[in-house]
Amino acid sequence: MNSIILTEDEKDVLQELMNVAYGNATAVIAEMLDAFASLSIPNIKVMQVSELMERFNQLKDSSYFFSTQAFMGEFNGESAFFIDEESANNLAKHLELESIEDLDDAILELTNVLTSSLTTRLAQEMDTEVSFALPSISKVPLNEIANVDTFLQYSQVIVIDTDLNFEDQMIHGKIFILTKDESIQWLRERIHTILEALI
Amino acid sequence: MAQRTNTYDIRSIDIDKKIISSIDNGIIILDDELHIYYLNKWLAIHTGLKEDSVLGKKLDAVFHNIKTKTLTRKIKTALRMKTPTFYTANTSKYLIPIKINQLKISNYEYMQQDVSIIPFDEEKRLVALIITDQTNMANTNALLEANIKKVNELNAELIRDRKTIDNKVLLIKLDSEFMIRDISQAQLRLLGYAKSELLDHNYFLFERLHINKTLKEQICQHAKENKVFNFEQKTLTKDGKELWMSNTLVPEYDSYGKELGYILFRNDITDAKELQKHQEKLLSNSRSSAMGEMVSMIAHQWRQPLSLINTLVATLKIKHELDLLDTQTMYKSLNKMEQTVNYLSETIDDFRNFFKPNKVITEVKLAMIFEKSTALLDDEIKQQSITYIQTIDEEIKISTYQNELIQSIITILKNSVDAFKENPTQKQYITTTVKQERTHLSIFIEDNAGGIKPEILQRIFEPYFSTKSKNGTGLGLYMCKTIIEDHLKGKITVTSQDGTTQTLIELPLSL
Repeated sequence: MNSIILTEDEKDVLQELMNVAYGNATAVIAEMLDAFASLSIPNIKVMQVSELMERFNQLKDSSYFFSTQAFMGEFNGESAFFIDEESANNLAKHLELESIEDLDDAILELTNVLTSSLTTRLAQEMDTEVSFALPSISKVPLNEIANVDTFLQYSQVIVIDTDLNFEDQMIHGKIFILTKDESIQWLRERIHTILEALI
Repeated sequence: MAQRTNTYDIRSIDIDKKIISSIDNGIIILDDELHIYYLNKWLAIHTGLKEDSVLGKKLDAVFHNIKTKTLTRKIKTALRMKTPTFYTANTSKYLIPIKINQLKISNYEYMQQDVSIIPFDEEKRLVALIITDQTNMANTNALLEANIKKVNELNAELIRDRKTIDNKVLLIKLDSEFMIRDISQAQLRLLGYAKSELLDHNYFLFERLHINKTLKEQICQHAKENKVFNFEQKTLTKDGKELWMSNTLVPEYDSYGKELGYILFRNDITDAKELQKHQEKLLSNSRSSAMGEMVSMIAHQWRQPLSLINTLVATLKIKHELDLLDTQTMYKSLNKMEQTVNYLSETIDDFRNFFKPNKVITEVKLAMIFEKSTALLDDEIKQQSITYIQTIDEEIKISTYQNELIQSIITILKNSVDAFKENPTQKQYITTTVKQERTHLSIFIEDNAGGIKPEILQRIFEPYFSTKSKNGTGLGLYMCKTIIEDHLKGKITVTSQDGTTQTLIELPLSL
C-alpha cells in the first residue's frame, strides 16, 4: 500500500473533530469517576506499524497495564490504553475497590469509556455509527504486545494519542486510537465531504 | 397499505417477544437504582426465579454478591455515554450466580459471563443487561493458559540448554553453500574471533590453509549425500596459534524435513595430537636404540660364519701353497663360502626389515614370527647355556603388523637373555607357549632369571626407566606396551614370583 500523507487541511478537520470528541470524553469520564479530568490536545499522525510498535515498546517499560478494544462500523479500528502501576493503584483507591480483579475491571471500564466516548462522538460528527455490541476488551500481558496479531495486520495506522490526567488523584494514562488501512481511506473521503461543505 | 403496515407492526412485536424469551442469553431490564423491570425466560430458568416474584425488587437485594457501587457506576456511565458498558468474564467471572449443573468437566462452579449494559430508555433511566454464557470460552482459555505455561517452561528449559550448548560445545552451523550462519560462543572463545567476524563467511575460504582439495571434495560429497562425515584438520586462532580439530559434519533439517544446511561439531584434539607426536618420537628413539642393540646381536650372529669363512680361506691358501688344491676341494670350499655369505646377507635383510614399520596388515604363522625373532638371539642363548623351549602349534595364524610384533618379542626375549647376565642361575630356561582362544591368542613367555622386585615391576612400562647396568635406554618395554596396546590392539601384562618372570601378551586374531 502506498503511504498516505494527510494534507494540512485534512489534518485540521480531523483535529477539530477530535477536539469535539475529546471534550465529550472528558466530561463523561469526569462524571463517571466524580473527579476533575483533563485530556491533552490529541496528537494526530499517520505512521507505519513498525513505528507504532516502537512507541508501544517505549511505553511498555513504564506501564503496568495495557488494554485494547475494537470498534466496528464504517469507521473502525482499535484503541490501546496504557496506564502505569501507581496510577492504577490510585484509580483503585479512588474507586474504593476491594480486590485486584476489581482493578482489572475498572481499568477495562476506563478503556471502554475512553474508546466509546471518543469514537462515538467522532462517528457522529462524520455521520456514521460505531458498534460495541460484542465486548472485545482484552487484557494483554505487556511482554506479549509485540505478538498482538491484530496490530500486525495493519500496514499503516492513523494514531491519535492523548494523555489522560486526573491531577488530584494522580492518575495518568495514554490512549491511542488506531484506524485500519481501509478505514483511513473512508476517513479521508468523509473529511473531504466535510471540507467541501465548508467551502 | 395502512392495514398491511399495521399487521406488520403487530407481528414485529410478537417476534421480538418470542425471540427474547427463547434467546440463549439472559436479559434483565434495570433502572439506575437497580430495580428489576424485566427478566427473560432464560434467566428465570437458570436462576429458578419467577419474574413476578422479583419485579420491582433491587437486583443486589436478590443477588447479594453484586457490588452495588460498581454496577450503578456502569449503568450511569452507559446512560451518560449512550453506548454500552461491560463486565467481562475474563476479569469479573460472573454477575448473576448460576451454578453449573452439567456433568462435563469444568474449571468453574458458576457460569462465567460477559455482560453488556445497554442504554434502553434514557428518560426512565433504564438499561438492559445482556448476559452471555462464556464458560466454554473460559474453560478453553484456562486450558490454553495451562498449556502456554507448560510451553513457556519447556521454552525456558530449551533456552537454558541452548545456552549451555553455546557455552560448552564447539559448533559451527553452515548453510547448504557452506556459509557460516551461526557459531557457538565456545568455538568463538577458542578461536578468539567475534561472531560478526565469521558470520556469512565461507567455511572453506576461512579454513583454506588447512583443508586441501581432496578433503574438500570428500566433505562436499558426504554433504551432498546427507551423510555424516568425520575428519580432522588444523585450524588457526585469530592470534595465529595452530590447533587440531576433530570434526563431525551432520546434515540439519527443520521440523518439516527441509534441509537447512549442516552442523559441524568439533573437538579440540591439540593435546591428543601433541601426545601422539611425542609417542611417535619415542617410537623412533626406541628404534634407534633397539638398532644399537641389534648391531651387537649381528656381531654375535656373524662371528661364527665369519670365522668359518676365515678358516675356509686359510685352508684354501695353505692347500694352494702346498700345491694340494684340487678343483673339487676348491669348489666345495667356495660353495660353502657362498652359502655363508648368503646367510650373512639374509641376516642384514632381516634386521632391515624388522626396523621398517609395517603399513600393511598381513596374515602370518606365529611359529614363523618366533623363528625370525629367535634367529637373532640364537647365539647368545647358546653361549649363556640357556635352555629355550617353545610350544607353538604350527597352524596358529594371526593377521597383524608382523614387524611390530617381532620387534616386541625380540625386546622381551632379549630382556630375559640380558637378565641372566646379571643373575646367572643353574638350569637357566626361557619358555614360550602360545594358545589360541576364540577371538584372540595368548603368548606366554617365562624365564627364571631371578624375577623382578615389586617396586620395579610397577614402573617397568614407564619411558626411560631401566635397570640394566649398561646400554639400557629404558624405552624397550615402554615401546612394547605402546605397540601392543595402541597399534596391535592387544594387552601386555608382566608378573613375577619365586625368581621367575611371566609376560603375557594377548592379541586379537585379526585387526
